Amino acid sequence: MPEEKRTMLADRREEEAAEAHNSTQHYEVLRQLGDSCTSLGKFDEARRYYEKAASLAPDEPDPYVGLGVIALQENLLDDAEIAFRVACRLDKNCSKAYAGLAMIAQQRSDYQQAFELYLRCLELDGDNLTALLGLFQTSCQMGTFEKIIHYLQTYLNMHPGDSSVMFSLAALYMKDERLDDARKLLADLLTLDPNHSEAANLLEELDRTLYQNENKRERAG
Amino acid sequence: MAEKNEHKCSPLVSVIISTFNRPRYLACALASVLRQGYTNLQPIVVNDGGCDVADVVNSFSDKRVVFINRKENRGKAASLNEALEKADGKYVAYLDDDDLFYQNHVETLVGALQEHPDCAAAYSDLYKVYCKTAPDGSRTALSKVVKVSRDFDRFVMLYFNNVLHVSFLHERGLIEKTGPYNENLSVLIDWDITRRLVFFCDFFHTPRITGEFYQPADDTERISFKQRRDKQAYTKNALTIRTTRPPKPWSKIKDLSIILLAERFDSRAGATLGLIWRYTFYPYKLYLPMPGADINRLNTDMPNIVTVGVDRSASQIERIAAVLGQCQSEYVSVVPAGFPVGEMWLEDSLYALINNTVENEAFELEGSTDRLRAVVLKTEHLRYAIDTFPGLPLREAIKAAKITLRRIRPDEIPFQLDTLLKKAQNAEKADDWLGAAGIYEYIAENYHNQLWMKSLAAAALFKAGRDDKAAEICHTVNRQRPTVDTLLLEAKLKRRRGDFHSAVELLEKAELILNPGFDCGRCEPTLTNQNSQ
Repeated sequence: MPEEKRTMLADRREEEAAEAHNSTQHYEVLRQLGDSCTSLGKFDEARRYYEKAASLAPDEPDPYVGLGVIALQENLLDDAEIAFRVACRLDKNCSKAYAGLAMIAQQRSDYQQAFELYLRCLELDGDNLTALLGLFQTSCQMGTFEKIIHYLQTYLNMHPGDSSVMFSLAALYMKDERLDDARKLLADLLTLDPNHSEAANLLEELDRTLYQNENKRERAG
Repeated sequence: MAEKNEHKCSPLVSVIISTFNRPRYLACALASVLRQGYTNLQPIVVNDGGCDVADVVNSFSDKRVVFINRKENRGKAASLNEALEKADGKYVAYLDDDDLFYQNHVETLVGALQEHPDCAAAYSDLYKVYCKTAPDGSRTALSKVVKVSRDFDRFVMLYFNNVLHVSFLHERGLIEKTGPYNENLSVLIDWDITRRLVFFCDFFHTPRITGEFYQPADDTERISFKQRRDKQAYTKNALTIRTTRPPKPWSKIKDLSIILLAERFDSRAGATLGLIWRYTFYPYKLYLPMPGADINRLNTDMPNIVTVGVDRSASQIERIAAVLGQCQSEYVSVVPAGFPVGEMWLEDSLYALINNTVENEAFELEGSTDRLRAVVLKTEHLRYAIDTFPGLPLREAIKAAKITLRRIRPDEIPFQLDTLLKKAQNAEKADDWLGAAGIYEYIAENYHNQLWMKSLAAAALFKAGRDDKAAEICHTVNRQRPTVDTLLLEAKLKRRRGDFHSAVELLEKAELILNPGFDCGRCEPTLTNQNSQ
């Protein structure tokens, strides 16, 4: 008699115990409805679904993140901030809520605050593209690039071929005088996406700079 | 006249609702019966000594309803028996007072039986609804999940219950064969009757969802919950059910005799007897060939024991022969005292024997050794061997009778589906989602239960990142029978592809199932069979 069958009844009891926790399905449907409607720009419907989701699962932060995103889209920064703060209160590790708060700070031109919040978000979720690009923008706005290069490299290791991040990182390499790294990345990007005109322009600019540098070196030599 | 003709092809169905102190939900349950698309119904409401529900029942002003308003609380089994005495329907269906039928319930099950006249009982699938209950009693669904969707398997039904009573409909006449509900049981009342029914008929499983039953997330004070928590009582009830033998003749089960051989009835034999009682789930009678003095000393509550008087000096063969002179079963197992008895100890080999197409084969039970050897075979074969070769030991007599004695092969054991399911679950636990999906697909191809297995395969493929395959399977399942889980899964796959319009469409269907827009306190007739095929 195989051992597995001997435990069949015990498994059923285990299964029944697990069933007791099966309480998130309706919440999940409503949250997904909210997210999908948001993606379609149907903000009123999305808001209604998020509110229902929040009433079913009052401890879950995601519906508040969704409500914050809608308020942000509608440029209601105060409402968005309240929603993201509720999400943070429900889950102090809610990376999306920090990204939302960072976007609000950025829109209010508080770049230092935005920078710190994007960093907090990326500490919790290095995979958050919104935070990554937000960090890139605020870095440009503030003129600081050191930290962002590390995050972009980490992201690219996880998502090789992400053209928006490849382009941003190449631009940062250029600003950081790492011209060979920048050239290689742009060449890779253009292999993946030959129609990427911004990358082509940047590569042209880079080659011009490299040519000029070469000439300078030759003249100096 | 037209109505009479309609009723000729739509036989009367009695629907029994036993209720105890849940007037709010009873209204909803009864409403779900009265709004069935199938109208030739006899709803029978039995108040099992709970609070007065006459107002609830009378408020429907429906002359079809039979109301038994008993003041004394005698338990659910007694209520069902009382209702069965009043029932006139060709068929009987059951509904708990806090559960619901969809509009297609009775029609689906009666239709299934009419299409499959070889079956006398049918069952469908139900949503298990996890819900939260407000102080006023209103319920909000947290999830609706099809937990059980298993095709009929007689052996499985003998082992445990996989047919929910609310999903079940059977010919009323069968109760005369099975006998009434056992009023001494506190739990598993429904399994007791469905288990007895498999002695007499086949069940047909239709995988349509035709109703829902409720599991309040926070209600640990429910009577059924408390009773199930009492493990000792639960085990006692399960043993009672497993050893219940309805009156013969049985048309669908062949009987088994177990002959326990012991030199004397000592503690070793007693222990084996106890283990046989505990673990054997196939219907049997246990024969004890022993001297009269031992019989007088035998003190056990174990049912289905038959003592056969023999001389103390009688050999093993003589003892077996004495039993064969009395037993009428088709199969027989000879087991020495001290033989290792555990889960499936006998049923593995018995199942192989029942399904064996080779005529002259017998099986040696797993765990047999040179010192302790147990066998199971057709009674006629054993009788022939013993009668023809009375001077030989059992094993040699069987061989001399040209009956091949062998062990079972792995592909011959019962519960293959469960073994594979267990493997798939283990693969899931090890994050081997692709492996799990492969097993689910294999089961779907080879062991029926297609919708159930395909749904599991799609979920596993989704986890494995095989979106295309997951989407293909999920779409097929949803076209055939959408559930909240499969709609949600397909919606997630659509979202991953950026197809938000389709995702919303699927999610709105799921939301409609979860929240169909009726107030449970007093149902409005808006609950539809969203899942009918």
